[in-house]
Amino acid sequence: MLKDFIRKRSIHICLVCTGGCNGCDIEVAALLSQRYDLEQYGIFLHNNPRECDALLVTGTVAKQWQEKLVEFYDKVPEPKAVVAIGACALSGGIFQQEGDKVSAPVSDIIPVDAEVPGCPPRPAEIASAVLKYVPPALASYRRKS
Amino acid sequence: MSYIPIGPIHPGLKEPLRLKLKTEGENVVDAEVDLGYFYRGAEQLAKGKPWQKVAYLTERVCGICSNAHPITLIEGLEKIAEFVPSTRIQFLRVIMAELNRIHSHLLANSIYFLAIEHETLGIYLLNTREKILDLLEMISGNRILYSWNIVGGVRMDIKESHLKKILKNLDEVESEVFRNRKMFKTGPFLGLRSRDIGKMSKEDAIGARAVGPVARGSGVKFDWRMKHSTYIDYFDFEPIYRNEGDNYARIMNRFDEILQSINIIRMAIDELPNGPIREECEIPPGTIDYRYEAPRGELAYIFETAQYGIIRNITIRTPTIMNLEACVKHMFKDSPTIADAIAIYQTIDPCIACTERVIVLNEKGEKTEFKGLQNVVKKYGTSPKTGMTSQGNNK
Ligand code: SF4
Repeated sequence: MLKDFIRKRSIHICLVCTGGCNGCDIEVAALLSQRYDLEQYGIFLHNNPRECDALLVTGTVAKQWQEKLVEFYDKVPEPKAVVAIGACALSGGIFQQEGDKVSAPVSDIIPVDAEVPGCPPRPAEIASAVLKYVPPALASYRRKS
Repeated sequence: MSYIPIGPIHPGLKEPLRLKLKTEGENVVDAEVDLGYFYRGAEQLAKGKPWQKVAYLTERVCGICSNAHPITLIEGLEKIAEFVPSTRIQFLRVIMAELNRIHSHLLANSIYFLAIEHETLGIYLLNTREKILDLLEMISGNRILYSWNIVGGVRMDIKESHLKKILKNLDEVESEVFRNRKMFKTGPFLGLRSRDIGKMSKEDAIGARAVGPVARGSGVKFDWRMKHSTYIDYFDFEPIYRNEGDNYARIMNRFDEILQSINIIRMAIDELPNGPIREECEIPPGTIDYRYEAPRGELAYIFETAQYGIIRNITIRTPTIMNLEACVKHMFKDSPTIADAIAIYQTIDPCIACTERVIVLNEKGEKTEFKGLQNVVKKYGTSPKTGMTSQGNNK
């Protein structure tokens, strides 16, 4: 109970880039600046999957990530949520063409709770998606298992 | 003697990459890098496509140097067509390229400060960077991927009112960069973490073919802008370099280059001539090896065109691959602790998205080990020319 209450205000996120162009990753990094001030909303960005609540997945899921992403998802403690960011993670974006070597979308590989379209999406959109969809996803995750 | 694996996802790293450090106590004696978490095959996709599509693809090779990649392709195409754009186009391109360089250098330095746990400076610099991103958005309509350069010119003009905003924001950025540079220069603890750590001599830098601010931090006086016709004709460009060769020199060099870029933009705005922003240019068949100074160093595009601007074949070589080698071979030797190894790694401003250009698969399409070209040659007896040289072909 107490944990659920607190988790609504403090979400730890881990950024996983699976092979896009970096554009989405630097927009997540831009969230740290004072203009957006992510930590003010109770979101803390660190790249440690073993102690995070939500995974932010960007990129097209390159060859090596196909199995690794599932392993990664298993490492995250329960309850957990996944936010897919950018056209790459949603559909493969520009790299989804004939003769490609990518296996997007991310939702084929791990369950995704929220999707943020854009190439890249603006930082404010990423922050609002995390704030709006991650707490309910974490709350409903408990009921599932 | 023990091994410490770092990555692919690790709090100290911003992009997926595996570093395997061989340590003796706290000293790093050797390191290995394992790439392959980012391969998308842009070169393969580019084959047989018209340049209009390839320009979008090259932009998405790297989201941070997203002006340098398309401009290298496009200026190369213009060289094939022997087309010289009007002076206004050249100046507009310089303004955009330097704004992009400032944003990249600010991000690189900020990530270094976050890596040595000096959050104050790191976040100040990120905030300064937002002002530059505002300008880029105002000019091109997007913060990160601009799609602004096209063969024969640029897509949108920079208007009078834009110029005022640019000058105003640049003044603010300049004073903030001056302040932060002073903090870095005089801060005793920052100095302790940065000076005399990760040293690389000039000979080593040349031997490892280091490029960009990494090489210039070790005293190599070279910058591809010295050979770029616009910079020669209108800006009498002189590269900035330092002789220390340590973390301090590389970060300081970036700070100084930011200030230099600001001055170049001011000069360009002062003398911005009138003229068309787009001209007709038809691309004949041809080949070219064109190089350009991206924020991280030399960027090489080697490509072949067919009639009507179709790209037949393309090879991209990005700066980080050489800098990574310089880092692993020479800089890590001089790392007193493991925490410093991460800081050293961040000073080369690694961009893994750029670096991943090749993946080696076996005939079933599974990823296989690749231990250097020489082993393939030994095993199969192919000459390097027919075997593994052309990037993206080794499927
Ligand atoms: S969605 Fe666009 S900006 Fe984001 S990683 Fe993919 S190509 Fe880059």
